[in-house]
Amino acid sequence: MNYSLLAPEILATAVGMLVLILGLIFKDRARQSVGIISLLSLVAVLILVILRFTDTQVFFNGIYQVDTYANFFKALFALAAVLVILNSSQYMERFGNKKSEFYALMMFATVGMMVMASAGDLLTIYIGLELMTVSFYILTAYLLEDETSSEAGLKYLILGAISSAVLLFGMSLVFALSGTTVITQIAGQISREPALIAGVILIAAGFAFKIAAVPFHMWAPDIYQGAPTPITTYLAVGSKAAGFAALLRIFIFAIPLTQFNWSLVLAILAALTMVVGNLIALTQTNVKRMLAYSSIAQAGYILAGLAAANQYGLKGVLFYAMLYVFSNTGAFAVATAVEVNTGSTDRDAFNALGQRSPMLAAVMTICLLSLAGIPPMAGFAGKFYLFSGAIQAGYLWLAFIGLLMSMISVYYYLLVAKAMYIGSNPQTGAMTVKAPARLALWVCLLATILIGVYPALLSNWAQTAISIFM
Amino acid sequence: MQNVLSLSWVIPFLPFLAFALIGLFLHRWPKISAALSILSIGVGLILSILISMIVFAGEAGFTYEVAVRWLNMPGLSVDMGLLIDPLTAVMLLVVTIVALLVQVYSLGYMHDDPGFASYYAYQSIFAGSMLGLVVANNFGQIFVFWELVGLSSYLLIGFWFGRNSAKDAAKKAFITNRIGDFGFLLGILFLQIIFGTLNYSELAGAVAGYGNTAILITVSLLLFAGPVGKSAQFPLHVWLPDAMEGPTPVSALIHAATMVAAGVYLIARAFFIFNASPETMLVIAIIGGFTALFAASIALVQNDIKRILAYSTLSQLGYMVMAMGVGAMAAGMFHLMTHAFFKSLLFLAAGSVIHALANEQDIWKMGNLHKKMPITTWTFVIGALALSGIPPLSGFWSKDEILLSALASGHTALYILGSLVAFMTAFYMFRLIFVAFFGDNKGGEQAHESPAVMTVPLIILAVLAVVAGLVGSPLMNNAFDHYITYPGAFHPAPNHSIMIISSLLAIAGIFLAWAIYQKKWVDFERIKIKMGGLYQLLYHKYYIDEIYAWLIKHFVDGTARLMEWFDLKVINGAVNGIAWLTGHLGITLRYTEDGQVQSYALYMYAGIIILLIAALCAVFTVLA
Amino acid sequence: MLGDYATIGIFLLLTILFPLAALGLAWVVRPKPLPDEEKLTTYECGVDTQGRTWVRFRVNYFLYALVFLAFDIETIFLFPWAVRFKALGLFAFVEMLVFIAILLTGLWYAWKEGALEWY
Repeated sequence: MNYSLLAPEILATAVGMLVLILGLIFKDRARQSVGIISLLSLVAVLILVILRFTDTQVFFNGIYQVDTYANFFKALFALAAVLVILNSSQYMERFGNKKSEFYALMMFATVGMMVMASAGDLLTIYIGLELMTVSFYILTAYLLEDETSSEAGLKYLILGAISSAVLLFGMSLVFALSGTTVITQIAGQISREPALIAGVILIAAGFAFKIAAVPFHMWAPDIYQGAPTPITTYLAVGSKAAGFAALLRIFIFAIPLTQFNWSLVLAILAALTMVVGNLIALTQTNVKRMLAYSSIAQAGYILAGLAAANQYGLKGVLFYAMLYVFSNTGAFAVATAVEVNTGSTDRDAFNALGQRSPMLAAVMTICLLSLAGIPPMAGFAGKFYLFSGAIQAGYLWLAFIGLLMSMISVYYYLLVAKAMYIGSNPQTGAMTVKAPARLALWVCLLATILIGVYPALLSNWAQTAISIFM
Repeated sequence: MQNVLSLSWVIPFLPFLAFALIGLFLHRWPKISAALSILSIGVGLILSILISMIVFAGEAGFTYEVAVRWLNMPGLSVDMGLLIDPLTAVMLLVVTIVALLVQVYSLGYMHDDPGFASYYAYQSIFAGSMLGLVVANNFGQIFVFWELVGLSSYLLIGFWFGRNSAKDAAKKAFITNRIGDFGFLLGILFLQIIFGTLNYSELAGAVAGYGNTAILITVSLLLFAGPVGKSAQFPLHVWLPDAMEGPTPVSALIHAATMVAAGVYLIARAFFIFNASPETMLVIAIIGGFTALFAASIALVQNDIKRILAYSTLSQLGYMVMAMGVGAMAAGMFHLMTHAFFKSLLFLAAGSVIHALANEQDIWKMGNLHKKMPITTWTFVIGALALSGIPPLSGFWSKDEILLSALASGHTALYILGSLVAFMTAFYMFRLIFVAFFGDNKGGEQAHESPAVMTVPLIILAVLAVVAGLVGSPLMNNAFDHYITYPGAFHPAPNHSIMIISSLLAIAGIFLAWAIYQKKWVDFERIKIKMGGLYQLLYHKYYIDEIYAWLIKHFVDGTARLMEWFDLKVINGAVNGIAWLTGHLGITLRYTEDGQVQSYALYMYAGIIILLIAALCAVFTVLA
Repeated sequence: MLGDYATIGIFLLLTILFPLAALGLAWVVRPKPLPDEEKLTTYECGVDTQGRTWVRFRVNYFLYALVFLAFDIETIFLFPWAVRFKALGLFAFVEMLVFIAILLTGLWYAWKEGALEWY
């Protein structure tokens, strides 16, 4: 076995621990360097994964799989982590003297996600999931002096534990019927019977919690709003993508559609998620909370592709998950900048941002338009794939709901744009944005436009990644 | 050397890059912005020259095509590609040369304008779009750039948006073009539906084997709507004279030399479609010929220097379109090229005058400029001679080619019409010259010659206006025709009697202008009074604008009022109802989010149980 | 197969019915005096409660418990490995060293951060 293919995971874990130890040894001096070390190692992970994108290997009798699909998601996680860490430079003062732990936890959460993407076994998925989630419990409550942050952390812990229990129960039912936890072996061992259905539903519910699908979304707004904004970003783009990565692998490989039409279950969840997420987002006046509801809605769009379970739909899932990293991180990065500068993320705080900091306003507008699915931004191409997939799979009604809800979403996204360009603000003067965050903003802006203008590049990449299912 | 061809995407890309850089970073430094813009187009010129050398060193049918798949799905694939052939090469040269000279000239013309940097940004986006349009290898791509040049034209016409007239002119140009573009887009969609491709060479093959003439006529006429709008042919010509509200260099580049010629270029590029239906060709020829005569007659009586040139542009565009219509594609393109040089020269020289006279545009308030502004005057005269078709200047060769083709292809009426237009052209151009440059009015007293950044481009263009015609003349074996060709296109042998007649007509026109406006042998005020009705008709441009305004007021506004009622009462009612419903649903759902962990968990479990029960019920019904 | 699920169904029914029946029976047979103060006090083994029942515990209890738990779990992993030490070979040995190293890092961190000190 070629263990060098595990280098990304090993590197990330080792650096996570190194950063922790550095923080212990050099209590005061290691502040800057730990950030740079984490950043560089994540970039290295990204490069490693991309360079060896098509190298595949099955480890430990199918328990751990390094394939194009996993590599796609690993690249996504590393990229998201890089952007989040760059962006968190704006937030560092608020973390007090707990900086090295922040980076270490970011690394561990990333490792957890990577394990989820690569795991070929239900329990390994669970371990990855817990590693990720436990890291997030702490990161969510990271603003020690801030009550909402602590509240968010506690709520996430309690609800996360409940959902883990549900997930584990589902896995145990599937294990009881099939006698194996290796995903690729399950399909051959099961037949259509009620306990299996119960197991599948429970697994779906467990992951639906992670991706914040209705009705398992209730935690998301409170936690997204309370958590430090960079962490919110990572929760929204990373944790969600990891949930999709694992869910997709389990459902496609382990549960044949002929045994149980999980696709319909997911389609219903997708429709509910799109409707509820978008409708509640309409009424929000806090941008961070609006983005939380928007990310619930976005999960609904992605779920629609998963429900389609055909080439277009699955390609769309990967494509959308990736562009979502850029568009959502861009939007959250601007929200972070505004929060750090004005102390608020209310929509009023964004008033006249177009005059104060045209760059921030431009990034926000482009990213929001992309999330709304307006061409030529990336989001349009992504939704195009997702909804085409849904139509091909016969879910015309789902695509219709998706389009309708996209239209509604334009309203609340443009409310922010309106505030930025038409609103007036007694305060003037540009907002300060640290150089690393500025870099992240540029990356998000360019990638969002580039993917939208030339989608073929990412789409081919996604195509290669889903070839393992076809 | 061949590698240069694969670099040709750089030509449109650089100006776009310049636009982005100026727009995002450099707008605070006008000088750097201008330098960057000029640099980008300069590199484009060098590349264009290299590419032309390769193209014209090769055979007549030389083509180089590359494409990347931009969007691919079953039944629709859209490419972004490059097509380099002699036609492209000519256009690349014309556009880059004129654009470069105009941008250099603008350094002087626009130097104290507060919007200097954004002017160059717009110039860059125009140059990029125009070049992108030229190198496109399919209709989808050309449409994108077609719209982009429309946008940049809009921005530049309305550049002095503080003036109401400029704002209105920009809107007029944009909206009028939309009408043509709508037909154009419909035509493109038809092509995609019928032939399943938008690529020129694939379409050429498909059209050749296509028998349904009715559909061919429909599609080609729809496509022709695009050129009618962009090249300002009757009846969509109304925007071009008003577009003169933009800065004069813009008029020279966009509204005389390049963008308005895009329509003619499109006809040449898609000649295989038009040529396949003789009926469409006839329509094109008639519209072109009519526009030529119609615009020339208006130009006879206008007093604004830029408007005279604008109507002359309309008339010359009509010439080119007429040439296309009679099947003489090469002649049309040839005239496009020579016209680009001498008309941009005329506009830039006019700009030089306007600049010197503090924005005075009425020719009767000028006079005796030749003493104060010799370079401007003489370059203008050269341009006017070329436009009038005096041998051996460039306009003579290209105009002659068109007249020859019209006669030889059997369109005698169009030939006579064309000759008449040639006479009128010479007359109105020299009316302008004798009044403005050699007249005895006092308006030109305080004039001064423009700086070198403005006069050098004038001189270069004057040289081009003199010599550019040689490449298509019988003296050089009609080299132009040899390369710009189309299977079955029309290449008649030179006819000396036509040359002599047209030259004589031009000279007669000049003489008449000299007699009336210089020597005053005839009192033109008396003519004006005697022919009062006709004069008023011409002066008011056949009242076309007024007719359109009346039509719009009565029909469009009437329909609009009806629609407004329907919209407000019926549609808005429904929409507001739905919006109200949506909003209230949102507000209701919002209260489910009460911040209590217990209730969150409750919703989760309720969700699981409902799902479980539903799924289990479904399964039990199936199993039982 | 469906018969198996009938058993589950019957059990489900019984689990719902039994407590209901027990509570109902108690309600039927129990005496029903009016509630007085004595009756409303919280039931604790003999002693009356002092103050509020929601008191804070020292967080150090949790920290100790957590650190203990980590090493408790470690032993569970160590036992089967030790039993099959020879069969598992060098690879498993290295793996176990890595595992212990990770845990020790955690312990080091907890120690340095003062988790093991009793304030």
